[in-house]
Amino acid sequence: MIVRAQLAALIIGVVVLGCQARAQPAEGGYSAAGLYNLGNAYARAGKPGMAVLNYERASLLAPNDPDIEANLRAVREPLHLRSESRNWFERAVVLASPRMLSWIGLLGLMAVGAGLLAEQLAIRHRWTCRAATLCGVALIGLTVCNGVVLWPRLHEAVVIVNATPARVSPAPMGETSFVLPEAETVKMTAQYEDFALVQTRAGRTGWVSRANLAPVVAQP
Amino acid sequence: MSSKRIRRAEPIALIVALLVTAPALATGILASATIEPAEITIGESAQLTITSLDADTQPITLPLVSGLEFRVVERSRRIEFINGATLATTTMVVRVTPQVAGTFTIPGITPVSQPLVLRVDKDNGIGNSSLAANSSSSPSRPTIARGALPSGIHMTPDGSAFVQLSVPKRDVYVGESIPVSIEVGMRAGVVRSLNGLPMLAGSDFTLNNLSRQPERVQKTIDGKPFTVLTWHSVLAAVKPGSFSLIVESPLTVRISTRPQREAMLEDQLGDPFMQNIFGPTVQKDIKVASPPVELTVSMLPTEGRPPDFSGAVGAFAIATDISPLTAAAGDPLTLRLHVIGSGNFDRVDSAMLAHVDQWKTYPPKSSFKSNDAIGYKGEKIFEQPLIASKPGAQTLPGLTFSYFEPTTRRYETARSAPLGVTISPSLADSSLTAQQLAALTTAQPTDQSPGGLRPDHIASGSIASSLIPLYLQPRFLAIPSLLTFAFAGGWLRLRRRAADSTGRNSRRDRGLSKANRVLVQLEAAARAGDSAQFFNVARSALQRALAARWQLAPEQMSAADMDARLGSDGDSDEIRQLFALADEANYSPLQPATIDFARWTRIVRRGLTGETAP
Repeated sequence: MIVRAQLAALIIGVVVLGCQARAQPAEGGYSAAGLYNLGNAYARAGKPGMAVLNYERASLLAPNDPDIEANLRAVREPLHLRSESRNWFERAVVLASPRMLSWIGLLGLMAVGAGLLAEQLAIRHRWTCRAATLCGVALIGLTVCNGVVLWPRLHEAVVIVNATPARVSPAPMGETSFVLPEAETVKMTAQYEDFALVQTRAGRTGWVSRANLAPVVAQP
Repeated sequence: MSSKRIRRAEPIALIVALLVTAPALATGILASATIEPAEITIGESAQLTITSLDADTQPITLPLVSGLEFRVVERSRRIEFINGATLATTTMVVRVTPQVAGTFTIPGITPVSQPLVLRVDKDNGIGNSSLAANSSSSPSRPTIARGALPSGIHMTPDGSAFVQLSVPKRDVYVGESIPVSIEVGMRAGVVRSLNGLPMLAGSDFTLNNLSRQPERVQKTIDGKPFTVLTWHSVLAAVKPGSFSLIVESPLTVRISTRPQREAMLEDQLGDPFMQNIFGPTVQKDIKVASPPVELTVSMLPTEGRPPDFSGAVGAFAIATDISPLTAAAGDPLTLRLHVIGSGNFDRVDSAMLAHVDQWKTYPPKSSFKSNDAIGYKGEKIFEQPLIASKPGAQTLPGLTFSYFEPTTRRYETARSAPLGVTISPSLADSSLTAQQLAALTTAQPTDQSPGGLRPDHIASGSIASSLIPLYLQPRFLAIPSLLTFAFAGGWLRLRRRAADSTGRNSRRDRGLSKANRVLVQLEAAARAGDSAQFFNVARSALQRALAARWQLAPEQMSAADMDARLGSDGDSDEIRQLFALADEANYSPLQPATIDFARWTRIVRRGLTGETAP
């Protein structure tokens, strides 16, 4: 009796949390199409930094959208900025959007749990249970790999002001180390007051005013 | 008796006198040995002139006097014919330079010459030159008519150079900058070189670095050509009090070694070139000092001193500006404070704006642009970066700057007007509104977009509340966490249940095997008809089983304990009866025919396995 009550509470809890997680905000949310269209608008308005920022954000939600990749290249190439290329591993683990992969990972977790429990209960279907467990582990692994690939992009930022000085120290009067072009995508490695320590794809580091940067994933 | 002795002594005295004067006669007769002047000061030299009437005599050795340095500067020989007789004279000019002050006695060069006395005074530090013969102590050679000089110029006694310090005011304050000019006049042909920049004597004042390229003009002073070098600098007093300000300049001058009268004639010639040709000279390093300038230095008053006073003394005015006047939130702006005027700009400082609501302020940086060569007049600019945190029309408060005005002798505070700027929202944190997006889109139609952008998408599909992947959001992570705990708990529970079941079965199996072994022994004893063995085995097996059931040690369980713990049912009575028969069989073996071994074996089995009687 107690076991049944526990199981019912678990199911109710999972359903409630799942509904909350999937609940759509009425306004102020992000959609891949909306961000893509916003990037197009900025690109046409001659603001490549903001255009690249919105394309990058759209590609987070729809990683396999060819239009986003094409327009990113179209904006970057005139500025002589290098476009990011994905290797086979990155292409493999972004088969679906992170949102979809989140549910896939959850499904894998349930498969693993159910397989392990069933193996204890139904000894005669042991191999079936083990196969289900392995499938679940594979699904979880796919989600984890997606997270590993996306993790660096969550800390990237786009330069939105042309000729942004990267300084040797986090001070407005600090000596300029190099100058960043607009629409350059950099990695933020540290922050100090109004400055962020950025690293370019070429490996150069410098302190940049956060007013000149827009993080790809806006911090809440 | 005494007269006789005197008469005898006279020839002896004559002989001794002849013996004493003979070497002097043999070395020649000294005509004269003079020193001019007889009184000099440290840093000057005197001229010792030795004239010998016989040139064929041995060379004259210079005397050794502690504290005096002798150096021959000239030798000359003169031959005169007087009434058919030839008279040869040799003249040697020796420069005598004292090392210390005091009165020196120069012994006679020859035994017949008289010793000379040279008096050396300490240096008074004012306008000395090497030509001691021209000093005030020897007024016989006033080569420069001082009364004819322009006012303010104090020439050295020999007229070779002068140093003049011009200070615009006599009452100053500690830390106040005073513009000064230093003139060094050098008579052409007399002063060989300037050996360094003029320096202040003493440590009561500081003088800014002098330029190595001073103003250079040619002047005629008192009918003589002079090269005048002029430095402009800034002077500052370091402590209060009354001080005499003196500037010294190191020079190398050419000293004439002519006798005084000849030197006077040379001065009459006027032309230094002619003087150099006809007059033998030597070089000497001297220091020429300016006449003292009396200054009174006061402390800055403490009354009325503003809290933000940084030590600036002078006359100043301020102005402020900010750029750009319009910026986005988060963009840096530069606030500038211009301090313009004259004074000690090295003490002009400002903290600018320390804290302003909705603004982030940074430490200012300053720069100075001088309007003159000495940095007395100019403009100091302070630049402070500011970052507005919120959009909207903002007003920055006015700035103040406090200084001490030496002419009015009080502190002044200059104030600037507040500055207004317009801050627009930042681009970085925007997700554009629909209207902004429409405005951007309509600003340039799609078909005009360069670069071949792919067309817009139809706005459909799911909307995410965050760009962070769902599996990294805490709200979503609660689901797998809960599932993981639930599955782990269920799995552990199942594992424990399986383990418990396995344990019970194994314990039961172990008990049955022990009972079987006992039953086998009982059967063997029954077949052998050994009642004592049978009952002993049965009793010990039951005793162990009961002790285990009651959680007692078998050896600690007495008959009374067992009787008390056994109940009153049939099985208990049979066990009591079996224990009694076991005791009896130990002492008197029972007849096997009278014993129902099969019955007792069943009783023992029930006792070991816990079965109940049918």
